[in-house]
Amino acid sequence: MYLLKFIVKRLLASVGIILGLTAVLFFLAAISHTDPVHAMLGAGATPGSIAAERHKLGLDKPEIVQYFDYLKNLLHGNMGMSYRTRRPVASDIATYLPATVELAGFSLVLSVLLGLALGIASGGSFRGSGALRFVLISGASVPQFLLAIGGLLFLYGKLNLLPATGIIGIANAPTGPTGIYLIDGILHGDFGVTVDAIKYLIMPSVSISLGPAVSIGRVLRGSLISSLGSDYVKTARSKGLGGFSILIRHALRNSLGPALSMTGLQAGLMFSGVVVIEDIFAWPGIGYYTAQSIPSGDFPAIAGVTLVLGVGYVIINALVDLAQLLADPRLKRLEMGPSTRGRKKFVSQQNSSLNSQVNAIGDPTV
Amino acid sequence: MKLLKSKDKDKDQIQLEINLDSNTITVAQKFAVGSLLVVTVVALLAPILSPSNPLLPVDQPFIHPFVSSHILGTDSVGRDELSRVLYGMRASWFSALAVIASGVLIGGTIGMTAAVFGGAVDTILMRITDGFLAFPGPVLAIAVVASLGASLFHTLIAVGIVWWPFYARIVRGEARAIMSRPHVEAARSFGVGKFRLARRHVLQGVIPSIVVTASLDIGNLVITLAGLSFLGLGQPAPAPELGAMAARNLQYLLQEWWVSVMPALAISILAMVGNFTGDAIRDYFEAKI
Repeated sequence: MYLLKFIVKRLLASVGIILGLTAVLFFLAAISHTDPVHAMLGAGATPGSIAAERHKLGLDKPEIVQYFDYLKNLLHGNMGMSYRTRRPVASDIATYLPATVELAGFSLVLSVLLGLALGIASGGSFRGSGALRFVLISGASVPQFLLAIGGLLFLYGKLNLLPATGIIGIANAPTGPTGIYLIDGILHGDFGVTVDAIKYLIMPSVSISLGPAVSIGRVLRGSLISSLGSDYVKTARSKGLGGFSILIRHALRNSLGPALSMTGLQAGLMFSGVVVIEDIFAWPGIGYYTAQSIPSGDFPAIAGVTLVLGVGYVIINALVDLAQLLADPRLKRLEMGPSTRGRKKFVSQQNSSLNSQVNAIGDPTV
Repeated sequence: MKLLKSKDKDKDQIQLEINLDSNTITVAQKFAVGSLLVVTVVALLAPILSPSNPLLPVDQPFIHPFVSSHILGTDSVGRDELSRVLYGMRASWFSALAVIASGVLIGGTIGMTAAVFGGAVDTILMRITDGFLAFPGPVLAIAVVASLGASLFHTLIAVGIVWWPFYARIVRGEARAIMSRPHVEAARSFGVGKFRLARRHVLQGVIPSIVVTASLDIGNLVITLAGLSFLGLGQPAPAPELGAMAARNLQYLLQEWWVSVMPALAISILAMVGNFTGDAIRDYFEAKI
């Protein structure tokens, strides 16, 4: 029951955030330095055709009416026309999206797994954890495109172990229900495709996920260390439990909260990383589409991608909150506690959960 | 840290005095802060340190690094790579510092206002802040620059717009904690106004956490700004910008690797200096408290 209430509240908040994002994008389109009419018609348009196009695009209406038209169009899956490809932005994005979902999903899983491993490895106090900390800080300082460039130079240029650009090397690979080669390969029983897809995924996804993994690992290390110093760990130790079992069964679950918050925050950075990395590896996703749209000032395309990534970010963060609730049942009482001042309490709880997110960034124990 | 009554004429002021002999500064911390100073000096002196004009060809294209008087070689049109990297570091470093300064200023003002006034002002300001935090910042920055048109100034504005909410949150949290301390209560009972309360009684306590957060943020910002520049959202073509240099020379990567690797390495060095200094400053404050 509390779960349902939580989901409904989270959904409402998400809708509010996405509405805010549409308002921001609409405002940016309105102040954009490229005039949509000129961009569509070119330099040689007559005043008559300009006026007709303005009317067709609804630009002669008041701004507030235009905004509601924009929202109505969005609900019908219409994101406007791209200046560059001359096709509807929505169908462009639909073409490019599966590749991005594949790359971003794989990278997210990889960064969480790597982050857990790094956090646990450096959180336990053993010889070499200081050196590992040095590696972690250095790793956080490497921009994604340097990793990509380094990978291209050595793994492709020197050793020729991995392919450089593209998404799949097999001609006529099965395109199945999902459009994601990694999964379609399995669904079609063609594991060669899946293996090939993973080969193409390794360099881009490692470049994207190393930075977020380090951030997650550092936060986890901080909270693990404070958990390991707590009384219940002492109790567990006095019962004679082994170090590993204490770490995994007792300390880890209590330390996951901040690391999960960090994962949600890092998703935003990951998305901008996806744009850069897709550009480098010519990965046919919406990041590549954005990178192609930037030089030609194709604002409708960029706004469409921003909206899609924004929705993705909101969804990931909602899932992170849900995961936090499941990982730490104590939050149940905080989040949904029997409160007579329901709304006020929820707001203050939200504040405190955001506080903990922010504290996770500036966590002094990391 | 010790709470000492100030000998100042202002009797209502309680100064947080740092007890300097109780904490030692480690060699690593000195080294980190030293490297920050070195980078800043290099950025300041780029026009003097660089051997030639970063915009003009001075020699054959694609001279290898470390073999001629051009230490980092030359690029595709024969410009001196070292000069371009130095100028690029200057641009990246000061851009990052400028965005942090604006973040601290805007976020700090909003956070402090929310904390000191409390009530409805607090709720409204923090709702707005949360709204901004709920967006994927760097992606939104791309849209803002695309709308305003690509230039370094517009990139700084765009990143500035998405960067302040963190600071607003941190300042508000810290300031609220300080607001509940006795010295603030005492000042309030004397009828000290909101502005003076914020400036004389709360600000000093907020500064350590701001310094720590801001210094830890330098690395993030250098990398974020470099990513935007990489996508072509910085200064136009011939300008020496590290991200753009790495991007435009990617086509030569397998033969003339240094032309795009050197600027990318320079970004890493800047980010690393920022991160290690941030860590050192945090350890320093942590040891003190």
